[in-house]
Amino acid sequence: MSSRVRKFLKSTMAVTAASCIFASSAWSAGQVNLLTWEGYADDSFIKQFEKDSGCDVSATYVGSNDDFAPKLAGGGGVYDMISPSIDTTKIMIEAGFVEAVDLSKVARFNEVYEKFRTAEGINHDGKVYGVPFSWGSIPFMYRTDKISEADAPTSLKVLWDPKYKGKISLWDDKSSIYVAARVAGNQNIFELNDAELEAAKQKLIEQKPLVRKYWSTAGELVDLFAGGEVWISNTWGGYQSNLLAEKNIPVKEFIPEEGAEGWMDSWMIVKGTANTECVYKFINMAISEHGQCGMSNYNGYSSSNPVAAKKCMSAEQFTKLHQDDPDYLDSLLLWVNLGARLEHYTNIWNAVKAAN
Amino acid sequence: MKLQTRKRIATLGVLSPPVLWALIFLFIPYLIMFTYSFYLKKFPTFEPAFQFGNYAQLVTDAQYYQVLFRTAKISIMVGLFSVLLGYPFAYFLVFKIKSDRVRAMLYMAVIVPLWVSYLLRAYTWKTILGSEGILNSFLVWSGILDAPTDIFLYNQFSMVVTLTYIYVPFIVMPAYASLEKIPRSLIEASKDLGVRPLRTFWSITLPLSSPGIAAGMTIAFCLTFGDFIAPALVGGPNGFMIANVLTSQFGAALNWPLGAALSIVTLLIVLTIISLSDTLQRSGKLELE
Repeated sequence: MSSRVRKFLKSTMAVTAASCIFASSAWSAGQVNLLTWEGYADDSFIKQFEKDSGCDVSATYVGSNDDFAPKLAGGGGVYDMISPSIDTTKIMIEAGFVEAVDLSKVARFNEVYEKFRTAEGINHDGKVYGVPFSWGSIPFMYRTDKISEADAPTSLKVLWDPKYKGKISLWDDKSSIYVAARVAGNQNIFELNDAELEAAKQKLIEQKPLVRKYWSTAGELVDLFAGGEVWISNTWGGYQSNLLAEKNIPVKEFIPEEGAEGWMDSWMIVKGTANTECVYKFINMAISEHGQCGMSNYNGYSSSNPVAAKKCMSAEQFTKLHQDDPDYLDSLLLWVNLGARLEHYTNIWNAVKAAN
Repeated sequence: MKLQTRKRIATLGVLSPPVLWALIFLFIPYLIMFTYSFYLKKFPTFEPAFQFGNYAQLVTDAQYYQVLFRTAKISIMVGLFSVLLGYPFAYFLVFKIKSDRVRAMLYMAVIVPLWVSYLLRAYTWKTILGSEGILNSFLVWSGILDAPTDIFLYNQFSMVVTLTYIYVPFIVMPAYASLEKIPRSLIEASKDLGVRPLRTFWSITLPLSSPGIAAGMTIAFCLTFGDFIAPALVGGPNGFMIANVLTSQFGAALNWPLGAALSIVTLLIVLTIISLSDTLQRSGKLELE
C-alpha cells in the first residue's frame, strides 16, 4: 500500500512541477516586470514605450530600499528589473541577485554623469551592474496653510516640538535613524556605532508620542497630508509635493539646517531574466529624452543623463533640478551601503517601532 | 479481492487527497520553518546552521516580548468586545425575535459584511475615524466639539474598533448555534420552579452556550493575534504587532531565521490558546448530556 502512496505522490509532484514550468515559460514573450518605486512606471511615459517597443510593462512597488532583497530572495523569476538606490546596489550585486549590464547594448550610457557611471555602488570586478536613472534628496515638507510663514521650520528640531504633537510623520525606513542622529548633532550618519545607534533609538522613542503615523508608501504620505492628519514629514523630494499640489494641498519642501540625505537610483537587471530584449529596450528608453523627462516631469526628480535632459527640459526646469550642477549632490548626505551594519540599523528601527 | 482490502483502498482513496494536501501545504512547510529557525543570519542573507541564537535573541531583546504583550493585550480586548457585542445579539435573535423571517434577515445582516474584502472594511474605518472623517465632521457639526480631534485614528483604539467590527460575525455564528441548541424545556422548567430570568440565564443559558462563546472568542483572539493589516492601516506608531515584526523579519530585515523562530513561538502560543478553548468547549458539552 505504501508504495502505491509513494507512486501517487510522485506522479502528483511531477504534474505540479510540469505545470509550473509550463506556466513560467508561457509568460516570457514581450514583457518586462519591474520591482520599483511608485512613479517609475507611470502611464504618462510608459504607455508610449509599450506602444513603441511592443513590451508590456508591469510593476510591483517597494516602499523602502530594504524591500528589494527579500522580494528577490524569495526566488521565482518574477521580476526582470529593479531600481534600488545607491546604498543598496552593492548588496544586490554581492548577493548575486543581478547580472552585469552589457554596455554594448546601451548606446547612450556614456552620456550619463561620469560621477554616477563610475560610482562604486554599481561597478564591481570591472563590470557595470546598473544604469543610473534619477537622483535627488530627502527633504522635509510641511503644509503651509497649517504652519505659518513666521513659523516656517528650518531645523529638524521641529520634529520634536510638542507644538506639533500628532501632526508629525516619518518615513518607515532606516532613514529615520539618520534623522535622529543628525538632530543630535551627528553628521556621520552612515557609520554610527552601537552607542550612537542606541542614542538615536532613544531619541526616536522620545518622539513617538508626537508622531501620528510612520508612512510606508508614497501614496500613504500623500493621503496623510491630504486628509489633514499630518503637517510635517520627510519626503521623496519633488514627488509627493507634486502629487499634493495636484490636489491643491499647499505644501512646501525645505532642506533642514542639519542637512538632507541624497540618493541616486539605478536600473539593474535581475539575474536569469528571460526578457532580455525588452529589458534593454527599457533601459535605453529610461536614459533617453523620453524616459528622463518622463520621470522628471512626473516624479520631480533630477535626471541622470544631462544630454537628454538638456534637450527635453526647459532651461528653468534644467536649473531647478540642478542638472547643470551635479555637485549639488555632494552637499547632500549621499546614501551609502551600510554593509554588515545594515542589520543593526534595521534592528534599531524595529526596536523603536516595538517600544511602548 | 477481499472485502477488507477493498475497504482499505476505498478509505485510502477518500483520505489521500486531504492527507496529501495537509502534508504538502501544512506539515512540510512547518518543518521547513522549524529548520530555518536554527539557521544563522549572515549578511546579506543567511546560511544553514544548527544553533539556538535566534531563540536566545527573542528572549534577551526586549522588543520581542514587548510586542508579544501588546499583541496579546489587543487580541484579548478584541475577543472580549466582540463577545460583549456579538453574544447579546445572538441571544436576542434566538430568544426574543418571534418571526423566523426577521431572525433570518438580522442574522444575514451580521454575516453579509464577511463578503466584503477585509482590506476594504478596514480602510473604511479610516474615513470614519480620521481627523477630517465622518465622526469628526459630525461632532463638529453638532457642536459637541469645537475642532476635530485626532484621538480616534492611528492608535490602539482604532485598531480595537476595526478588529472588533471585523470579528463580531465570528462570535454571532457559533453563539447563535449554541444558543439555538439549548432545549427550551430546560428554561421553562427553571421558570416553573420560580427561578428569576437573570438567575436562569446565569445557571442555564450561559453555561450551556459557553462552548459557542469560547469558539467565537478563540477565532477572534487568534485571528487578531496574527493580524498585520489593521496596524498598517489604522494603527499608529504604537500599533506594531507580532505579525508586523514577522513581515519585517521576512522582509526588510531579511532575517528569515529570526522570523522563523518567532513564527514557531507565535504558533505555540496560538496552539495553546486553541487547546485551552477546546477543553472548555468539551466541558460545556458534557454538561448538556
